[in-house]
Amino acid sequence: MSFFKRLTLPLLIVFGIGLLGFAQEFVPHPIAHDFTEAMTTCFKIMGGFAMILGIYSLTHLHVTRIRQQGPGWGYSMFVFLGAGVMIVLGVWNDGVGPLREVSEGKTYFDWGYDYIYVPCQATIFSILAFFMASAAFRTFRARNVAAAMLLIAAVVVMFGRVPVSETVGRWFGTPDVFTNATDFLMNGPNLAAKRGIILGVSLGGLAQSLRILLGIERSYLGGQD
Amino acid sequence: MSSLPLQPRRIDLSRWVIYGLVCLAVLLPYVIYVEMPFTPSKEAKGLYDQLEALKKGDHVLLAFDFDPASQAELRPMGRALLLHCFRKGVIPVVMTFWPNGLNMDKEIIEKTAPEAGKMWSREFKNGRDYVFLGFRPGDTSFILLMGENLKTAFDKDYYQNPTQKLPGLTDVNTLKDMKLVVDLAAGATVQAWIAWGSDRFGFPLGAGTTAVSAPDMYPFLQSRQVVGLLGGLRGAADYEVLLNVNGDGRLGMQAQSFTHLLLVGLILFANVVVFIRWIRGGKD
Repeated sequence: MSFFKRLTLPLLIVFGIGLLGFAQEFVPHPIAHDFTEAMTTCFKIMGGFAMILGIYSLTHLHVTRIRQQGPGWGYSMFVFLGAGVMIVLGVWNDGVGPLREVSEGKTYFDWGYDYIYVPCQATIFSILAFFMASAAFRTFRARNVAAAMLLIAAVVVMFGRVPVSETVGRWFGTPDVFTNATDFLMNGPNLAAKRGIILGVSLGGLAQSLRILLGIERSYLGGQD
Repeated sequence: MSSLPLQPRRIDLSRWVIYGLVCLAVLLPYVIYVEMPFTPSKEAKGLYDQLEALKKGDHVLLAFDFDPASQAELRPMGRALLLHCFRKGVIPVVMTFWPNGLNMDKEIIEKTAPEAGKMWSREFKNGRDYVFLGFRPGDTSFILLMGENLKTAFDKDYYQNPTQKLPGLTDVNTLKDMKLVVDLAAGATVQAWIAWGSDRFGFPLGAGTTAVSAPDMYPFLQSRQVVGLLGGLRGAADYEVLLNVNGDGRLGMQAQSFTHLLLVGLILFANVVVFIRWIRGGKD
Protein backbone atom coordinates (compact mmCIF):
# COMPACT_ATOMS: atom_id res chain seq x y z
CA MET A 1 0.00 0.00 0.00
CA SER A 2 1.39 3.37 -0.92
CA PHE A 3 2.33 5.96 1.70
CA PHE A 4 -0.49 8.22 0.49
CA LYS A 5 -3.21 5.59 1.02
CA ARG A 6 -1.76 4.34 4.27
CA LEU A 7 -1.18 7.65 6.02
CA THR A 8 -1.98 10.83 4.11
CA LEU A 9 -5.49 9.90 2.94
CA PRO A 10 -6.78 8.90 6.42
CA LEU A 11 -5.31 12.08 7.90
CA LEU A 12 -6.98 14.20 5.19
CA ILE A 13 -10.34 12.49 5.82
CA VAL A 14 -10.05 13.10 9.58
CA PHE A 15 -9.06 16.72 9.03
CA GLY A 16 -11.83 17.35 6.50
CA ILE A 17 -14.65 15.70 8.47
CA GLY A 18 -13.39 17.23 11.71
CA LEU A 19 -13.37 20.70 10.19
CA LEU A 20 -16.87 20.25 8.74
CA GLY A 21 -18.16 18.91 12.05
CA PHE A 22 -16.69 21.94 13.80
CA ALA A 23 -17.99 24.41 11.21
CA GLN A 24 -21.58 23.12 11.16
CA GLU A 25 -21.91 24.26 14.79
CA PHE A 26 -21.69 27.87 13.61
CA VAL A 27 -23.62 27.71 10.32
CA PRO A 28 -27.41 28.04 10.70
CA HIS A 29 -28.07 26.80 7.14
CA PRO A 30 -30.22 23.80 6.04
CA ILE A 31 -27.13 22.22 4.45
CA ALA A 32 -25.41 22.26 7.85
CA HIS A 33 -28.51 20.59 9.37
CA ASP A 34 -28.52 17.96 6.62
CA PHE A 35 -24.84 17.35 7.26
CA THR A 36 -25.55 16.78 10.97
CA GLU A 37 -28.30 14.28 10.11
CA ALA A 38 -26.04 12.47 7.64
CA MET A 39 -23.23 12.27 10.19
CA THR A 40 -25.65 10.91 12.81
CA THR A 41 -26.73 8.20 10.36
CA CYS A 42 -23.08 7.38 9.66
CA PHE A 43 -22.46 7.18 13.39
CA LYS A 44 -25.29 4.66 13.79
CA ILE A 45 -23.99 2.57 10.88
CA MET A 46 -20.50 2.58 12.37
CA GLY A 47 -22.08 1.56 15.69
CA GLY A 48 -23.54 -1.48 13.90
CA PHE A 49 -20.13 -2.46 12.57
CA ALA A 50 -18.60 -1.92 16.00
CA MET A 51 -21.18 -4.34 17.38
CA ILE A 52 -20.17 -6.96 14.78
CA LEU A 53 -16.54 -6.43 15.81
CA GLY A 54 -17.54 -6.78 19.49
CA ILE A 55 -19.45 -10.02 18.82
CA TYR A 56 -16.47 -11.40 16.87
CA SER A 57 -14.04 -10.46 19.64
CA LEU A 58 -16.24 -11.99 22.37
CA THR A 59 -16.80 -15.17 20.36
CA HIS A 60 -13.11 -15.52 19.55
CA LEU A 61 -12.11 -15.08 23.20
CA HIS A 62 -14.54 -17.67 24.55
CA VAL A 63 -14.13 -20.19 21.71
CA THR A 64 -10.35 -20.10 22.29
CA ARG A 65 -10.86 -20.58 26.03
CA ILE A 66 -13.17 -23.55 25.50
CA ARG A 67 -10.88 -25.11 22.88
CA GLN A 68 -7.84 -24.79 25.14
CA GLN A 69 -9.88 -25.67 28.24
CA GLY A 70 -8.32 -22.68 30.03
CA PRO A 71 -9.29 -21.52 33.54
CA GLY A 72 -13.05 -20.96 33.82
CA TRP A 73 -13.80 -22.47 30.39
CA GLY A 74 -17.09 -23.83 31.72
CA TYR A 75 -18.32 -20.25 32.24
CA SER A 76 -17.55 -19.55 28.59
CA MET A 77 -20.10 -22.22 27.67
CA PHE A 78 -22.71 -20.21 29.56
CA VAL A 79 -21.88 -17.13 27.45
CA PHE A 80 -22.96 -18.99 24.32
CA LEU A 81 -25.84 -20.74 26.05
CA GLY A 82 -27.25 -17.48 27.48
CA ALA A 83 -26.69 -15.44 24.33
CA GLY A 84 -27.97 -18.20 22.04
CA VAL A 85 -31.15 -18.86 23.98
CA MET A 86 -32.01 -15.15 24.32
CA ILE A 87 -31.31 -14.44 20.62
CA VAL A 88 -33.51 -17.35 19.53
CA LEU A 89 -36.31 -16.34 21.93
CA GLY A 90 -36.06 -12.70 20.85
CA VAL A 91 -36.23 -13.49 17.14
CA TRP A 92 -38.96 -16.10 17.57
CA ASN A 93 -40.93 -13.67 19.81
CA ASP A 94 -43.56 -16.28 20.69
CA GLY A 95 -44.18 -17.05 17.04
CA VAL A 96 -44.97 -13.44 16.05
CA GLY A 97 -41.50 -12.70 14.68
CA PRO A 98 -38.93 -10.00 15.45
CA LEU A 99 -39.78 -6.32 16.04
CA ARG A 100 -43.49 -7.00 16.47
CA GLU A 101 -45.52 -6.43 19.59
CA VAL A 102 -47.12 -9.50 21.14
CA SER A 103 -50.68 -8.48 21.85
CA GLU A 104 -51.09 -9.93 25.35
CA GLY A 105 -48.95 -11.27 28.15
CA LYS A 106 -45.23 -11.75 28.46
CA THR A 107 -43.09 -13.54 25.92
CA TYR A 108 -40.46 -16.14 26.81
CA PHE A 109 -37.87 -13.44 26.09
CA ASP A 110 -39.55 -11.20 28.69
CA TRP A 111 -39.54 -14.11 31.11
CA GLY A 112 -35.78 -14.62 30.66
CA TYR A 113 -35.18 -10.89 31.08
CA ASP A 114 -37.42 -10.45 34.13
CA TYR A 115 -36.55 -13.60 36.04
CA ILE A 116 -32.92 -14.27 35.10
CA TYR A 117 -31.21 -11.15 33.79
CA VAL A 118 -32.74 -8.56 36.16
CA PRO A 119 -32.23 -10.56 39.41
CA CYS A 120 -28.67 -11.52 38.40
CA GLN A 121 -27.63 -7.93 37.68
CA ALA A 122 -29.40 -6.57 40.77
CA THR A 123 -27.75 -9.23 42.95
CA ILE A 124 -24.25 -8.53 41.66
CA PHE A 125 -24.69 -4.82 42.33
CA SER A 126 -26.31 -5.24 45.74
CA ILE A 127 -23.52 -7.40 47.20
CA LEU A 128 -21.25 -4.36 46.82
CA ALA A 129 -22.80 -3.07 50.06
CA PHE A 130 -21.29 -6.01 51.95
CA PHE A 131 -17.83 -5.60 50.41
CA MET A 132 -17.88 -1.85 50.98
CA ALA A 133 -18.82 -2.26 54.64
CA SER A 134 -16.01 -4.75 55.19
CA ALA A 135 -13.47 -2.65 53.26
CA ALA A 136 -14.44 0.55 55.09
CA PHE A 137 -14.08 -1.17 58.45
CA ARG A 138 -10.66 -2.59 57.66
CA THR A 139 -9.05 0.30 55.78
CA PHE A 140 -10.65 3.60 56.85
CA ARG A 141 -8.05 4.77 59.39
CA ALA A 142 -7.13 8.26 60.60
CA ARG A 143 -3.40 7.64 60.13
CA ASN A 144 -2.56 11.30 59.44
CA VAL A 145 -4.27 14.69 59.15
CA ALA A 146 -5.35 14.21 55.51
CA ALA A 147 -6.75 10.74 56.20
CA ALA A 148 -8.53 12.06 59.31
CA MET A 149 -10.16 14.87 57.28
CA LEU A 150 -11.30 12.36 54.66
CA LEU A 151 -12.67 10.10 57.35
CA ILE A 152 -14.59 12.89 59.10
CA ALA A 153 -16.03 14.10 55.76
CA ALA A 154 -17.09 10.57 54.83
CA VAL A 155 -18.75 9.95 58.19
CA VAL A 156 -20.59 13.30 58.09
CA VAL A 157 -21.86 12.74 54.52
CA MET A 158 -22.80 9.12 55.20
CA PHE A 159 -24.74 10.12 58.29
CA GLY A 160 -26.18 13.37 56.94
CA ARG A 161 -27.63 11.70 53.85
CA VAL A 162 -30.06 9.45 55.74
CA PRO A 163 -33.22 10.40 57.68
CA VAL A 164 -31.87 9.09 60.98
CA SER A 165 -29.54 12.11 61.09
CA GLU A 166 -32.56 14.40 61.42
CA THR A 167 -34.00 12.18 64.16
CA VAL A 168 -30.71 12.35 66.08
CA GLY A 169 -30.47 16.10 65.40
CA ARG A 170 -33.92 16.59 66.91
CA TRP A 171 -32.71 15.11 70.19
CA PHE A 172 -30.29 18.05 70.40
CA GLY A 173 -32.85 20.59 69.15
CA THR A 174 -31.16 21.11 65.75
CA PRO A 175 -32.60 18.64 63.22
CA ASP A 176 -30.71 20.20 60.28
CA VAL A 177 -27.22 20.20 61.75
CA PHE A 178 -25.97 17.08 59.94
CA THR A 179 -27.83 17.91 56.72
CA ASN A 180 -26.32 21.40 56.70
CA ALA A 181 -22.84 19.99 57.31
CA THR A 182 -23.35 17.56 54.43
CA ASP A 183 -24.59 20.35 52.15
CA PHE A 184 -21.54 22.43 53.05
CA LEU A 185 -19.19 19.58 52.14
CA MET A 186 -21.01 18.84 48.88
CA ASN A 187 -21.41 22.46 47.78
CA GLY A 188 -17.96 23.58 48.94
CA PRO A 189 -14.95 21.26 48.84
CA ASN A 190 -16.65 18.62 46.67
CA LEU A 191 -17.87 21.15 44.12
CA ALA A 192 -14.49 22.89 43.89
CA ALA A 193 -12.63 19.60 43.39
CA LYS A 194 -15.13 18.31 40.82
CA ARG A 195 -15.04 21.57 38.86
CA GLY A 196 -11.25 21.46 38.78
CA ILE A 197 -11.31 17.90 37.49
CA ILE A 198 -13.94 18.74 34.83
CA LEU A 199 -11.94 21.75 33.60
CA GLY A 200 -8.73 19.74 33.50
CA VAL A 201 -10.30 16.85 31.62
CA SER A 202 -12.06 19.20 29.18
CA LEU A 203 -8.89 21.13 28.38
CA GLY A 204 -7.04 17.84 27.93
CA GLY A 205 -9.79 16.60 25.59
CA LEU A 206 -9.64 19.83 23.59
CA ALA A 207 -5.88 19.59 23.21
CA GLN A 208 -6.10 15.92 22.20
CA SER A 209 -8.83 16.70 19.62
CA LEU A 210 -6.67 19.42 18.08
CA ARG A 211 -3.70 17.05 17.95
CA ILE A 212 -5.83 14.47 16.11
CA LEU A 213 -7.30 17.05 13.69
CA LEU A 214 -3.89 18.47 12.85
CA GLY A 215 -2.35 15.03 12.37
CA ILE A 216 0.07 15.34 15.31
CA GLU A 217 -1.54 12.45 17.19
CA ARG A 218 -1.52 9.38 14.92
CA SER A 219 -1.61 6.45 17.30
CA TYR A 220 -5.21 5.65 16.23
CA LEU A 221 -3.83 4.78 12.80
CA GLY A 222 -1.95 1.84 14.24
CA GLY A 223 0.53 3.24 16.72
CA GLN A 224 2.88 4.76 14.11
CA ASP A 225 4.02 8.38 14.29
CA MET B 1 0.62 -5.82 72.94
CA SER B 2 -0.83 -9.17 73.87
CA SER B 3 -2.80 -7.51 76.69
CA LEU B 4 -5.00 -5.66 74.20
CA PRO B 5 -8.55 -7.01 74.10
CA LEU B 6 -8.81 -6.64 70.33
CA GLN B 7 -5.92 -7.62 68.10
CA PRO B 8 -5.75 -6.29 64.51
CA ARG B 9 -5.86 -9.83 63.15
CA ARG B 10 -9.10 -10.45 65.00
CA ILE B 11 -10.58 -7.26 63.48
CA ASP B 12 -9.57 -8.42 60.00
CA LEU B 13 -11.10 -11.82 60.55
CA SER B 14 -14.48 -10.37 61.46
CA ARG B 15 -15.58 -10.05 57.81
CA TRP B 16 -18.41 -12.55 58.19
CA VAL B 17 -19.63 -10.77 61.31
CA ILE B 18 -19.75 -7.53 59.30
CA TYR B 19 -21.65 -9.26 56.51
CA GLY B 20 -24.12 -10.60 59.06
CA LEU B 21 -24.57 -7.18 60.65
CA VAL B 22 -25.12 -5.51 57.26
CA CYS B 23 -27.67 -8.21 56.42
CA LEU B 24 -29.50 -7.55 59.68
CA ALA B 25 -29.35 -3.77 59.20
CA VAL B 26 -30.93 -4.12 55.75
CA LEU B 27 -33.60 -6.66 56.70
CA LEU B 28 -34.67 -5.62 60.20
CA PRO B 29 -36.30 -2.30 59.23
CA TYR B 30 -38.63 -4.26 56.93
CA VAL B 31 -39.76 -6.25 59.99
CA ILE B 32 -39.66 -3.55 62.65
CA TYR B 33 -40.82 -0.26 61.16
CA VAL B 34 -39.35 2.87 62.75
CA GLU B 35 -40.86 6.19 61.71
CA MET B 36 -38.11 8.62 60.63
CA PRO B 37 -39.54 11.83 59.16
CA PHE B 38 -37.17 13.83 56.97
CA THR B 39 -37.10 17.07 55.00
CA PRO B 40 -36.60 16.73 51.23
CA SER B 41 -33.37 18.23 49.91
CA LYS B 42 -33.43 21.53 48.01
CA GLU B 43 -31.91 19.76 44.98
CA ALA B 44 -34.94 17.42 44.80
CA LYS B 45 -37.30 20.34 45.43
CA GLY B 46 -35.72 22.21 42.52
CA LEU B 47 -36.74 19.43 40.14
CA TYR B 48 -40.16 19.03 41.74
CA ASP B 49 -40.89 22.78 41.45
CA GLN B 50 -39.82 22.80 37.80
CA LEU B 51 -42.27 20.03 36.93
CA GLU B 52 -44.98 21.41 39.19
CA ALA B 53 -44.86 24.72 37.31
CA LEU B 54 -45.78 23.07 33.99
CA LYS B 55 -49.25 23.27 32.47
CA LYS B 56 -51.57 20.45 31.48
CA GLY B 57 -50.62 19.11 28.04
CA ASP B 58 -46.96 20.19 28.27
CA HIS B 59 -44.36 17.58 27.40
CA VAL B 60 -41.57 16.21 29.58
CA LEU B 61 -38.85 13.95 28.16
CA LEU B 62 -37.75 11.26 30.61
CA ALA B 63 -34.54 9.47 29.60
CA PHE B 64 -34.27 6.22 31.55
CA ASP B 65 -30.56 5.63 30.98
CA PHE B 66 -29.96 2.76 33.37
CA ASP B 67 -30.07 -1.03 33.55
CA PRO B 68 -31.26 -3.48 36.21
CA ALA B 69 -28.01 -3.12 38.19
CA SER B 70 -29.05 0.41 39.21
CA GLN B 71 -32.77 -0.15 39.40
CA ALA B 72 -32.84 -0.07 43.22
CA GLU B 73 -31.97 3.62 43.14
CA LEU B 74 -33.28 4.85 39.79
CA ARG B 75 -36.48 2.89 39.29
CA PRO B 76 -38.30 4.58 42.23
CA MET B 77 -37.28 7.95 40.74
CA GLY B 78 -38.76 6.96 37.38
CA ARG B 79 -42.01 5.89 38.98
CA ALA B 80 -42.24 9.06 41.08
CA LEU B 81 -41.57 11.32 38.09
CA LEU B 82 -44.18 9.49 35.99
CA LEU B 83 -46.73 9.79 38.81
CA HIS B 84 -46.03 13.51 39.02
CA CYS B 85 -46.51 13.91 35.27
CA PHE B 86 -49.80 11.99 35.36
CA ARG B 87 -51.04 14.01 38.34
CA LYS B 88 -50.27 17.29 36.55
CA GLY B 89 -51.67 16.14 33.20
CA VAL B 90 -48.20 16.60 31.69
CA ILE B 91 -47.35 14.13 28.91
CA PRO B 92 -44.24 12.06 29.73
CA VAL B 93 -42.21 10.98 26.70
CA VAL B 94 -39.89 8.16 27.73
CA MET B 95 -36.78 6.95 25.91
CA THR B 96 -33.46 5.29 26.69
CA PHE B 97 -29.89 5.06 25.43
CA TRP B 98 -29.36 1.84 27.38
CA PRO B 99 -30.62 -1.27 25.53
CA ASN B 100 -30.23 -3.46 28.63
CA GLY B 101 -32.89 -1.46 30.44
CA LEU B 102 -35.50 -1.44 27.68
CA ASN B 103 -37.77 -4.18 29.03
CA MET B 104 -37.53 -2.73 32.52
CA ASP B 105 -38.44 0.76 31.28
CA LYS B 106 -41.48 -0.66 29.52
CA GLU B 107 -42.54 -2.40 32.72
CA ILE B 108 -42.13 0.79 34.80
CA ILE B 109 -44.40 2.71 32.42
CA GLU B 110 -46.97 -0.05 31.99
CA LYS B 111 -47.26 -0.51 35.76
CA THR B 112 -47.24 3.16 36.71
CA ALA B 113 -49.89 4.31 34.21
CA PRO B 114 -52.70 2.09 35.63
CA GLU B 115 -51.48 2.84 39.17
CA ALA B 116 -51.83 6.58 38.49
CA GLY B 117 -55.21 5.87 36.91
CA LYS B 118 -56.42 4.30 40.16
CA MET B 119 -54.96 7.14 42.26
CA TRP B 120 -56.63 9.94 40.32
CA SER B 121 -59.58 8.04 38.79
CA ARG B 122 -58.53 8.61 35.21
CA GLU B 123 -57.49 6.42 32.33
CA PHE B 124 -53.99 7.09 31.03
CA LYS B 125 -53.68 5.82 27.50
CA ASN B 126 -50.50 4.93 25.63
CA GLY B 127 -49.75 7.30 22.76
CA ARG B 128 -52.14 9.94 24.07
CA ASP B 129 -51.31 10.54 27.76
CA TYR B 130 -47.83 9.06 27.64
CA VAL B 131 -45.39 8.02 24.92
CA PHE B 132 -42.72 5.33 25.05
CA LEU B 133 -40.17 5.84 22.28
CA GLY B 134 -37.88 2.98 23.26
CA PHE B 135 -34.15 2.65 22.61
CA ARG B 136 -31.86 4.39 20.16
CA PRO B 137 -28.04 4.23 20.07
CA GLY B 138 -25.74 7.19 19.65
CA ASP B 139 -25.90 9.34 22.78
CA THR B 140 -24.39 12.69 21.74
CA SER B 141 -25.08 12.53 18.02
CA PHE B 142 -28.58 11.26 18.63
CA ILE B 143 -29.32 14.14 21.02
CA LEU B 144 -28.28 16.49 18.21
CA LEU B 145 -30.63 14.70 15.82
CA MET B 146 -33.50 14.93 18.31
CA GLY B 147 -32.76 18.64 18.57
CA GLU B 148 -33.11 18.96 14.81
CA ASN B 149 -36.15 16.73 14.35
CA LEU B 150 -37.55 14.43 17.01
CA LYS B 151 -39.85 12.56 14.66
CA THR B 152 -37.01 11.82 12.24
CA ALA B 153 -34.95 10.54 15.15
CA PHE B 154 -37.86 8.37 16.31
CA ASP B 155 -39.98 7.57 13.28
CA LYS B 156 -41.82 4.92 15.34
CA ASP B 157 -42.43 4.46 19.04
CA TYR B 158 -41.60 1.29 20.96
CA TYR B 159 -44.90 -0.29 19.92
CA GLN B 160 -44.11 0.41 16.22
CA ASN B 161 -46.71 3.19 15.91
CA PRO B 162 -45.59 6.05 13.61
CA THR B 163 -44.72 9.03 15.80
CA GLN B 164 -46.24 11.40 13.21
CA LYS B 165 -49.67 9.99 14.09
CA LEU B 166 -49.35 9.87 17.87
CA PRO B 167 -51.78 12.31 19.51
CA GLY B 168 -49.39 12.63 22.46
CA LEU B 169 -46.73 14.14 20.17
CA THR B 170 -48.94 16.43 18.07
CA ASP B 171 -47.25 19.67 19.15
CA VAL B 172 -43.76 18.24 19.44
CA ASN B 173 -41.22 18.55 16.65
CA THR B 174 -37.85 18.99 18.30
CA LEU B 175 -36.29 18.90 21.75
CA LYS B 176 -37.04 22.61 22.03
CA ASP B 177 -40.72 21.69 22.42
CA MET B 178 -39.97 19.81 25.63
CA LYS B 179 -40.68 21.92 28.70
CA LEU B 180 -38.36 19.78 30.77
CA VAL B 181 -35.94 16.91 30.18
CA VAL B 182 -34.96 14.62 33.05
CA ASP B 183 -32.16 12.09 32.65
CA LEU B 184 -32.12 9.20 35.10
CA ALA B 185 -28.57 8.04 34.58
CA ALA B 186 -26.42 5.21 35.81
CA GLY B 187 -23.56 6.40 33.56
CA ALA B 188 -22.32 9.67 32.12
CA THR B 189 -25.31 10.54 29.93
CA VAL B 190 -26.23 13.62 31.99
CA GLN B 191 -23.04 15.34 30.82
CA ALA B 192 -24.00 14.50 27.21
CA TRP B 193 -27.49 15.92 27.74
CA ILE B 194 -25.94 19.12 29.14
CA ALA B 195 -23.30 19.64 26.43
CA TRP B 196 -25.34 18.56 23.40
CA GLY B 197 -28.89 19.09 24.64
CA SER B 198 -29.81 21.75 27.16
CA ASP B 199 -26.92 24.16 26.48
CA ARG B 200 -27.58 23.98 22.74
CA PHE B 201 -31.38 23.84 22.53
CA GLY B 202 -32.23 25.71 25.71
CA PHE B 203 -34.58 23.36 27.59
CA PRO B 204 -34.35 22.96 31.39
CA LEU B 205 -32.58 19.74 32.40
CA GLY B 206 -33.05 17.74 35.57
CA ALA B 207 -31.02 14.74 36.65
CA GLY B 208 -31.42 11.62 38.71
CA THR B 209 -28.27 9.65 39.40
CA THR B 210 -26.96 6.86 41.57
CA ALA B 211 -25.58 8.03 44.92
CA VAL B 212 -21.97 7.54 43.82
CA SER B 213 -22.47 9.75 40.75
CA ALA B 214 -24.41 12.51 42.54
CA PRO B 215 -21.31 14.49 43.68
CA ASP B 216 -20.34 14.90 39.99
CA MET B 217 -23.52 16.90 39.40
CA TYR B 218 -22.90 19.71 41.90
CA PRO B 219 -20.88 21.98 39.54
CA PHE B 220 -23.78 21.79 37.05
CA LEU B 221 -26.33 22.49 39.78
CA GLN B 222 -24.47 25.62 40.83
CA SER B 223 -24.22 26.86 37.25
CA ARG B 224 -27.98 26.09 36.79
CA GLN B 225 -27.18 23.78 33.86
CA VAL B 226 -29.08 21.22 35.92
CA VAL B 227 -32.23 22.60 37.55
CA GLY B 228 -32.67 19.81 40.09
CA LEU B 229 -31.04 16.61 41.22
CA LEU B 230 -32.24 13.35 42.69
CA GLY B 231 -29.21 11.64 44.21
CA GLY B 232 -29.52 7.92 44.92
CA LEU B 233 -32.34 6.30 46.83
CA ARG B 234 -32.56 9.36 49.10
CA GLY B 235 -33.37 11.46 46.03
CA ALA B 236 -36.21 9.10 45.13
CA ALA B 237 -37.47 9.22 48.73
CA ASP B 238 -37.32 13.03 48.69
CA TYR B 239 -39.43 13.12 45.53
CA GLU B 240 -41.98 10.70 46.99
CA VAL B 241 -42.29 12.90 50.09
CA LEU B 242 -42.78 16.00 47.94
CA LEU B 243 -45.35 14.16 45.86
CA ASN B 244 -46.97 12.70 49.00
CA VAL B 245 -46.95 9.12 47.71
CA ASN B 246 -45.45 5.96 49.15
CA GLY B 247 -42.88 3.95 47.27
CA ASP B 248 -39.64 2.02 47.34
CA GLY B 249 -37.65 5.20 47.99
CA ARG B 250 -39.31 5.96 51.33
CA LEU B 251 -39.40 2.29 52.25
CA GLY B 252 -35.69 1.91 51.51
CA MET B 253 -34.77 4.88 53.69
CA GLN B 254 -35.25 2.80 56.85
CA ALA B 255 -32.80 0.13 55.64
CA GLN B 256 -30.35 2.73 54.37
CA SER B 257 -30.48 4.65 57.67
CA PHE B 258 -29.63 1.55 59.69
CA THR B 259 -26.91 0.44 57.26
CA HIS B 260 -25.26 3.87 57.26
CA LEU B 261 -25.46 3.98 61.07
CA LEU B 262 -23.82 0.57 61.21
CA LEU B 263 -21.06 1.66 58.80
CA VAL B 264 -20.34 4.82 60.79
CA GLY B 265 -20.31 2.79 64.00
CA LEU B 266 -17.91 0.20 62.53
CA ILE B 267 -15.51 2.82 61.20
CA LEU B 268 -15.46 4.70 64.52
CA PHE B 269 -15.01 1.44 66.45
CA ALA B 270 -12.06 0.35 64.32
CA ASN B 271 -10.42 3.77 64.71
CA VAL B 272 -10.91 3.77 68.48
CA VAL B 273 -9.14 0.38 68.65
CA VAL B 274 -6.26 1.71 66.55
CA PHE B 275 -6.11 4.85 68.69
CA ILE B 276 -5.92 2.80 71.90
CA ARG B 277 -3.07 0.78 70.40
CA TRP B 278 -1.28 3.99 69.41
CA ILE B 279 -1.68 5.41 72.95
CA ARG B 280 -0.20 2.24 74.37
CA GLY B 281 2.78 2.54 72.02
CA GLY B 282 1.91 -0.27 69.60
CA LYS B 283 1.73 -0.30 65.82
CA ASP B 284 -1.39 -0.66 63.69
